[in-house]
Amino acid sequence: MQLDFASRELTIKLVYYGPALSGKTTNLQALHKAADAASTGRLMTLETKDDRTLFFDLLPLTFRDQGGLAVRLKVFTVPGQVIHASTRRLVVQGADGIAFIADSRESETQNNAESFLDLKDNLKEHGLTLKQMPLIIQFNKRDLPGVRSDSDIAALASQGREPVYLAVATQGGGVVESFLGLLHLTWSALNGVHDLQRKFNFDGDRFMGEVAKKLGQTASLSELLSRSVTAQANAPRKVAP
Amino acid sequence: MAEPASRTLEQLTLSDDFRIEELVDKHALAEMVQSFYELFRVPLRIYSQSERLLAEASEQPELYRYINTLHEAKTALQAVVSAVKNLKPEREGVRYACITGAEYYVAAIRYDGRAIGRMILGPYLPASLREIPRTLTDLDPAIDVKLVRELLPKMARAKQDTVKQIALHLGRTLDLILFSGHRALLASNMHMASVRESFRELQDKNDKLQQAYDRLKELDRLKSNFLATVSHELRTPLTSIIGYSEMLNEGIAGPLVGEQKEFVDTIHNKGEQLLELIKGLLDLSKLESGTMTLRRKNTAAEPIVRDVVATVTPAALKKDVDLKVVFEAGLLEMWADAERIRQVLLNLTENAIKFTPHGGVVTVAARMGALTADPSDDGGVVLLNASRAAIELSVTDTGIGIPEAERSRVFDAFYQVDSSSTREQGGTGLGLSIVKRLVEGHDGRIRVEANQPTGARFVVLIPVRRATFT
Repeated sequence: MQLDFASRELTIKLVYYGPALSGKTTNLQALHKAADAASTGRLMTLETKDDRTLFFDLLPLTFRDQGGLAVRLKVFTVPGQVIHASTRRLVVQGADGIAFIADSRESETQNNAESFLDLKDNLKEHGLTLKQMPLIIQFNKRDLPGVRSDSDIAALASQGREPVYLAVATQGGGVVESFLGLLHLTWSALNGVHDLQRKFNFDGDRFMGEVAKKLGQTASLSELLSRSVTAQANAPRKVAP
Repeated sequence: MAEPASRTLEQLTLSDDFRIEELVDKHALAEMVQSFYELFRVPLRIYSQSERLLAEASEQPELYRYINTLHEAKTALQAVVSAVKNLKPEREGVRYACITGAEYYVAAIRYDGRAIGRMILGPYLPASLREIPRTLTDLDPAIDVKLVRELLPKMARAKQDTVKQIALHLGRTLDLILFSGHRALLASNMHMASVRESFRELQDKNDKLQQAYDRLKELDRLKSNFLATVSHELRTPLTSIIGYSEMLNEGIAGPLVGEQKEFVDTIHNKGEQLLELIKGLLDLSKLESGTMTLRRKNTAAEPIVRDVVATVTPAALKKDVDLKVVFEAGLLEMWADAERIRQVLLNLTENAIKFTPHGGVVTVAARMGALTADPSDDGGVVLLNASRAAIELSVTDTGIGIPEAERSRVFDAFYQVDSSSTREQGGTGLGLSIVKRLVEGHDGRIRVEANQPTGARFVVLIPVRRATFT
């Protein structure tokens, strides 16, 4: 995070992590498509080979609060292939929040787990732990055959700490919800440490609502945030008589 | 500001304090601005955020050249120019009217939501201007109104909307160029950073390997020390055993009868064998620690070969192995320690007899050869390869031979091609490693090759003394 009091600017770094071909770049493309033209810059794709990311993608999003605070979000992806370990470590440096994009297919379970451990190692290299890092998990590719079932994911998610989202990034489904979930967590964490709300006289929830609108969402923020698997599992359920 | 290459990814993506001149080639920018000027004939200047003129395409209009010759008018015109320069438009461009009736248009150059420079278009005559403004004719008491009427219409004319469009178009073009420049800058920085990161990883691993290697080397040194100490300590009591069994054998303590003599003989023989083994260990540890000294002088090969052959003849006869000796005429003398060369040759010949079955042949030969630089060395063969005369001593047998894959390892200490044969034939696995080190101590070389149709051939090259320049 970078704070510029003089120009009232806050820059936040978000990183989309995950195994190769889990849809990190597709998430960014969908986000870029969803955002209104005034908020988003060009999606920068840095070095690709055969449509695979070699370095990273970078999506700049800028949202201006009514109070004049400019929140600049820099959304990165990492290259998922195992060989690009050093690049992943470089990109994840200085991240304020991480979205872990997992491939929902049963066959990818092992790759998801390995990539997650890789994330843990890379954070450790920078002296960070997963516990300190705002993190959401997205199970992408829900439309493919052979995916882990919703109930399976929900059961596991309820045991974990992180909000879990389901998505079909190729069609944009679940992408904005995941992003807002990550932004919400990240904002809470940064606000907790830096007391931004008070320093900038800034209403985080109202701002988040504005962001949701600029990303083409009509539902309320609380409604959008409750679309995580974990939130639904924890919601009070009607008990059959 | 730091060099671009040393900026971190974070600085390059989060802080975005870019300068146009960092992302765009200045000459290329000048060319582009010139091309805009040629297309639209509207003078154009580009300034960086730090007020540096980066590119310019304009010709001073004749009118302005004339005005600059008049004192008061010149001052007024300079005031306009500096006012234009100080304009800081935000999102929308701004127009500024000049005293001549012409106009300037100033717009910010923005990248990723931030102003990073300005473009100034003009002066141009707005297309709507019909009359010569009074501000111009009243500018200076000395002004030549007729001349001004003539010069003003020669200035570039443009619609205000068109100028705005030009600015917009230039802004978009620049944005694309800046984006490409930013991306290229990021990519090159990522390349550098990735290489640095990989290098750091390798360096870490190398350090660990080096530590492990140093530790192993230390352990090896300790092992050699241990061997030297142990061998030395073993030798002392053994000398007594050999000495006393010899005295018993000679009957100094009274005559021995029957089996007594046989037993004492065995004690004496086994004691001698053990002494040889211990000497071998000592030699090896001395060779390893580099404390063995060679007494080298000009030495003829023939007496050594004859002596070795004489020593092993009883063993060869016993095994029914035919022992052949071959000499080439006119052999030079080796530069060698005769005792050590004898040890080398004895070891190889004993081995050969040991591994040759009944009725086989062992040939010991000496002839002239040459030592050439090993091509697998550091190179520079053409410079270093002054091949050196050497004596080639070879021992060839018709035994079981050594498989090709094993040949490079037979000279390792304690290595046995086939441990079952050791049990059958005896041996410590030390002999060849000592042989190799002794040969190398003489700057010589040893190799093993196959003998056709069966058996092995060990070839030792010991150099003759290098001619000295006097």
